[in-house]
Amino acid sequence: MAKMILEVSHLTVCREGATAVDDVSFSLEAESETALVGPNGAGKSTLVQAILGVLPRQSGEVRLLGHALGARGQLPAAVRDQVAYLPQTLTLRGRFPLSVAEFVGLGWERAGLALPWRGRCARRSAVALALAKVGGEDLAPRLISDLSTGQLKRALLAFCVVRPRRLLVLDEAQAGLDAQAAEQFHGLLFDLRRSEGWTILQVSHDLEMVRRTCSRVLCLNRSLRCSGPPDHALSPAQLERLYGRGWVPYHHHHPGASRS
Amino acid sequence: MLESGVDPAGLAQLLALPFMQRALLAGLLTGLLGGVLGSFAVLRQLSFFSDALGHSALLGISLGILLGLNPTVVLIPFAVLFALGVNQLAGRSQLPTDALLNIVYSSSLALAVLLLSRVRTYKGGIQQLLFGDILGVSWLDLGVILVLLLGAGGYLLLSRRSQILLTLDEPLAISRGVAAGWHRLVFIVVLAVVVAISIKAVGVLLISAFVVIPACASRLVSRGFGTYVFVAALLGASCAVIGLLASGALDLPSGPSVVVVQLFGFLLALLLAPRRRFSRP
Repeated sequence: MAKMILEVSHLTVCREGATAVDDVSFSLEAESETALVGPNGAGKSTLVQAILGVLPRQSGEVRLLGHALGARGQLPAAVRDQVAYLPQTLTLRGRFPLSVAEFVGLGWERAGLALPWRGRCARRSAVALALAKVGGEDLAPRLISDLSTGQLKRALLAFCVVRPRRLLVLDEAQAGLDAQAAEQFHGLLFDLRRSEGWTILQVSHDLEMVRRTCSRVLCLNRSLRCSGPPDHALSPAQLERLYGRGWVPYHHHHPGASRS
Repeated sequence: MLESGVDPAGLAQLLALPFMQRALLAGLLTGLLGGVLGSFAVLRQLSFFSDALGHSALLGISLGILLGLNPTVVLIPFAVLFALGVNQLAGRSQLPTDALLNIVYSSSLALAVLLLSRVRTYKGGIQQLLFGDILGVSWLDLGVILVLLLGAGGYLLLSRRSQILLTLDEPLAISRGVAAGWHRLVFIVVLAVVVAISIKAVGVLLISAFVVIPACASRLVSRGFGTYVFVAALLGASCAVIGLLASGALDLPSGPSVVVVQLFGFLLALLLAPRRRFSRP
C-alpha cells in the first residue's frame, strides 16, 4: 500500500470573517501529481497555505508525512525539511541584495538558530548541484531582484531541490510565464518529480497542462466539488458545474478531443 | 577632505580630550548598530518606523522630565511599548502602516511639546533633544550601547536565515519553519530599543538617518547579502567617525555633521551603482 504523504480531513479555513475553505478532505499518495483547480476566489491559495501552516485553520486536521500539523502551524523540523513550497512569485520592492546562490543556500539550511558559517562547504556543493539540476548554473552570482520571471522560477525550484524533499506544493507556478517558458518549466518540473521522487500538489489555471501532466484533479469552489482523474474531473459537465455555464477557461480546448 | 583646513596638531589635541574619545567611540558603535539593523529594516519597509519612533520618543523624554526621572530610563520601556503597540495596530487595522505611524508620531510629538511647554526649566534644552549631544555621552551610555550592539548583533547573526527569509517573503518563510510572528516582533523591539538608546547622542530628528542612509547606500552597490550588511555597518561607523572629527575640528553641531557625511556616502554609492535598464517593471 502506498504511504500517504498528505492527509487533509474536514479542513475549514476562515479569512476576514468569511469561510474561504469549507470542510475539505482529501489525501495524496506518494509520488502522485495532483492539481487543484477552481475559479478565482475559490480558496485554492488559502487551502494550500493552510496545509503548510501559513494560515491558521478553523477546524479539521492536516497530516504531513504522517505528522499532525499543530494549530499554529508547528511541524517537527525533520518533516518541515521534506516539504517545500513554491509561491506564485516573490514580491520584491526595489533592489534586493541577495544573490541566487545565497538564496538557494537558505533552502538548504535547517530551521532554528545557527551560525552563518555552519556547514559552509556542504552548503556550497549542495547549492551548485541544485542550480545544475535546474539548468541555472549561470544564475548563481545574479541578484534575486534582477531575475526575469522565468529565471526566478528556476531559482525557486533550485531552492526546493537543494535538499531531498517528499512533498512539493506549488501555487500557480506558471503564472507570469509565456507559453514556451511555461512548457519548459513544466518539463523541468516533470523530470525533477521523477528523479527526486516528489509528490506534487499544484494550484493551476491551465487546464490543458493539468490534463496532460496530472494524475488527479481536485475541483475546489470553497468546498471540494469533485475529484478524480482528469478525464472525469475535467469533463465538460463537471467544469460547467465548477465555473458556471459559459465561464469555462481555455475555450480553445475541444471537449471531445481528450482520450483516455 | 572636510578637515583639510585644520592643522594636525589641533586635531591631535582634540583627540586627547576624554569627551571627544567617548564621542568617537559612541559614534562608531551607534554607526555600526544603525548600519546592521538598518540593512534589515530598510528591506522590510521599516525606514519610516524608525523615523516615527524617533519623533515619538520626545513624548517619552518629556514624560521622564515631568516625573523627574532620567530620560534614558523612561525611553527604553517607552520604545518597547511603542513597538508592541504599532505592531498590534498594524496587524489589526485595515489602514496602511505609514498612515498609522504618521498618526501615532504626530500626536506623540504634539503631546510632548504641550508637556514640555509646562516644564519651564527644560525649555532651553529642546534643541539638545532634537539634535542630540554626542559630546555629552558618558561611560555608562557607552556601556549600554556596547551591550546592545553585542546583543542585537548576536541575535541577527544566529537568526540570519529566518531574518532573510522573512524579509523576502513571509509565506515562504513560514513554510520553511520560520516562527514569523515571533521574529518580526523581536526585530521591531530590538530596532526600537536601539533607536531609543541612540537618541541621546544623535537626537530625535536625525536618528533615522543612522538606520536608513548607510543601509540604502550599501543596498545600491552590494552584490550579495553578506557584503550588504558588512558595507552598511562599515559605512555607518566610518561616516560617524568622519562626521564627528569634522564637527570637532570645524566647531559644527555633531549630529547634523554626521548625517551630511552619510549623505556624501550615499551620493557616492549612487554614482557607483550599476545602471539599471528600464526593461523590467
